[in-house]
Amino acid sequence: MWKYLIEKEFRQFFRDPMLPRIVIVFPLLMMLVFPFAANMEVKNINLVVVDNDRTDISAELIEKCTGSGYFRLKAVCSDPREAQEMMDRNTVDAILTIGQGFSRSIVTGEDFPVGIKVNTVNGTKGSIGSQYLSDCIMLFMKQFAGDGSSSPQTASGPVIDAAPKYYYNPYMDYKVFMVPSLMVIAVTMVTGFFPALNIVGEKEAGTIEQMNVSPVSKTAFIVCKMIPYWVITFFMLGMCLLIAWLVFGYVCRGSLWGVVLFTVLHIMVTAGLGLLISSYSENAQQAMFIMMFFVLIFMLMSGVFTPVSSMPAWARAITYANPLRYYADAMRAIFLKGSSVADLWYDAAGLLAIGVTVLFWAVRSYRKTS
Amino acid sequence: MNAIEIHDVSKSYGKVRALSGVSLNVKEGEIFGLIGPDGAGKTSLFRILTTLLLADGGTASVAGLDVVKDYAGIRRIIGYMPGRFSLYQDLSVRENLEFFATVFGTTVEENYDVIRDIYSQIEPFRDRRAGALSGGMKQKLALCCALVHKPSVLFLDEPTTGVDAVSRRDFWNMLARIKASGVTVFVSTPYMDEASLCDRVALIMHGSIIDSGTPSKIESEYPYALYAVKGSPMYPLLKYLRSTDGVLSCFSFGSVHHLAVDPSVADARQKILSEIVSAGFKDCEVHQIRPGIEDCFMYLAGRYRQGGEERGTVRSGHAGA
Repeated sequence: MWKYLIEKEFRQFFRDPMLPRIVIVFPLLMMLVFPFAANMEVKNINLVVVDNDRTDISAELIEKCTGSGYFRLKAVCSDPREAQEMMDRNTVDAILTIGQGFSRSIVTGEDFPVGIKVNTVNGTKGSIGSQYLSDCIMLFMKQFAGDGSSSPQTASGPVIDAAPKYYYNPYMDYKVFMVPSLMVIAVTMVTGFFPALNIVGEKEAGTIEQMNVSPVSKTAFIVCKMIPYWVITFFMLGMCLLIAWLVFGYVCRGSLWGVVLFTVLHIMVTAGLGLLISSYSENAQQAMFIMMFFVLIFMLMSGVFTPVSSMPAWARAITYANPLRYYADAMRAIFLKGSSVADLWYDAAGLLAIGVTVLFWAVRSYRKTS
Repeated sequence: MNAIEIHDVSKSYGKVRALSGVSLNVKEGEIFGLIGPDGAGKTSLFRILTTLLLADGGTASVAGLDVVKDYAGIRRIIGYMPGRFSLYQDLSVRENLEFFATVFGTTVEENYDVIRDIYSQIEPFRDRRAGALSGGMKQKLALCCALVHKPSVLFLDEPTTGVDAVSRRDFWNMLARIKASGVTVFVSTPYMDEASLCDRVALIMHGSIIDSGTPSKIESEYPYALYAVKGSPMYPLLKYLRSTDGVLSCFSFGSVHHLAVDPSVADARQKILSEIVSAGFKDCEVHQIRPGIEDCFMYLAGRYRQGGEERGTVRSGHAGA
């Protein structure tokens, strides 16, 4: 009987005009497009320089900045108003103002007049842009000071040279960081939302009623409904890992069994959530809207896109109830760092706690509606 | 033994009373019709009997099994065909049938003789998806799926609603054959004319059974003399008749009006005829007719409405005790 129930689900799945395609296209898109698109690196910052110094040294500074590859020099002018106008028209993102006497001050080691102005309509681009720009200037200064053997700066005391070394992601490659997170999102969608929509679909069609008058228990029916999606999830996960390896050359550093274990734990949560959604919604539209609500909160508050540690305390508190927080954290740690399951007991406990709560609630709400 | 026993079953949805104190017995091997307008509580009663809904009060049993305690047992021995087509539209005819057979722990081959009559009509389309079938074929498939596990009681909730006249007749012929194979059939319908096709019927209104028995028994208990009155224009005639002395009720029945008159009135036919002719109506005809179930339903519904308030106080007294 179970075999036949599962067979029926698979049959319906493959007969659906959309679902099989989604399962293929979704991970492809997730892995091949999003790592490039959902990128926090800022490039091509349009720069205008107001050069009031007009010396070789100021020209060298400009070259230094544009040579970094992050900036695109739009113009060099002498009137600050002209530069401001360009920013107002949105043709430039940053203004670098080099004051008069720059070349003189840098030699004597006095405070020298350099100004940075950034357009922060896009906050990320603005703040990262200004960071890059000041880094360039600092670097230039240091080099300049190194060149001059009798520089007063070196004489004034030791200069602390902090050289960061990036562990687990040596080149600070944003894609490496996103790949495991995107797998997390793919798994959440397929295990949580597809079955929920499927159950609501049966509700709408009235077929669930037909099943309820049969000797098949509700539990058996629901479990048989979910099994195919679990199989499909692991298929998708495999596909994601394969793409990560083939296209980006990323290999999971930790054990694949760890990935499987955390995926199973996460499935427990999403399955319960899917059940809850389907038991509270009468039709697919309602279910879709509830899902949208959860998807947004889950993603934005999971640490996938922005680090949890930089959220305010109250928002951090909310993330403790977000299964994606634990799952994404665990997947990243296993994938990038090679952490073992024992290292990640905290994430496992979090997922388990949420999973048990949600499942308990889901089963209760299902009983009530019967 | 009775196939279905319902005793004082009540059900409310919030403040809306769907069923109030319904009691019925359905004998084994009969076609029992539950007849009433939309919203009378037919589907609620079906859902209680098929263990999909819990009653607020009262008890019910199907084939001797209590609907609450032995719900699992009931699910094994009943067939249920809900009012709305609810099979898997994306599975083929054959797949649907096999699926429901498997769900009930049997096979199509094992019980083929039960469904042969009906299935043979849709067999040419066995590989077509259920969603692509015509209305009549969908209904036949649904009936097959409800019968494939050889149920002892078959529940059909408004099976003929929205079905054309020819298919309706076909359907009732099928029911007669199903009955002949020993299955008890409990069927609901809003169509009064289908009452005569049942062995026994119950008339339901606002969640109460207003009468039950064989169709002929219900018809024979109609207390008034009934006349079919024709004349034009029709609607003013209806209004005129309703305001005429000695007329107890008058309802429009298609091309004629059914007029109830106190049977003690002598020569009523002649009286009515001369009255409407003198009132200026044309093409007048008056015949005495035998009352049908619909006439009885109208009469009983009217009586039920009149007694509504009085009965309401009695019932609340019961609930207190």
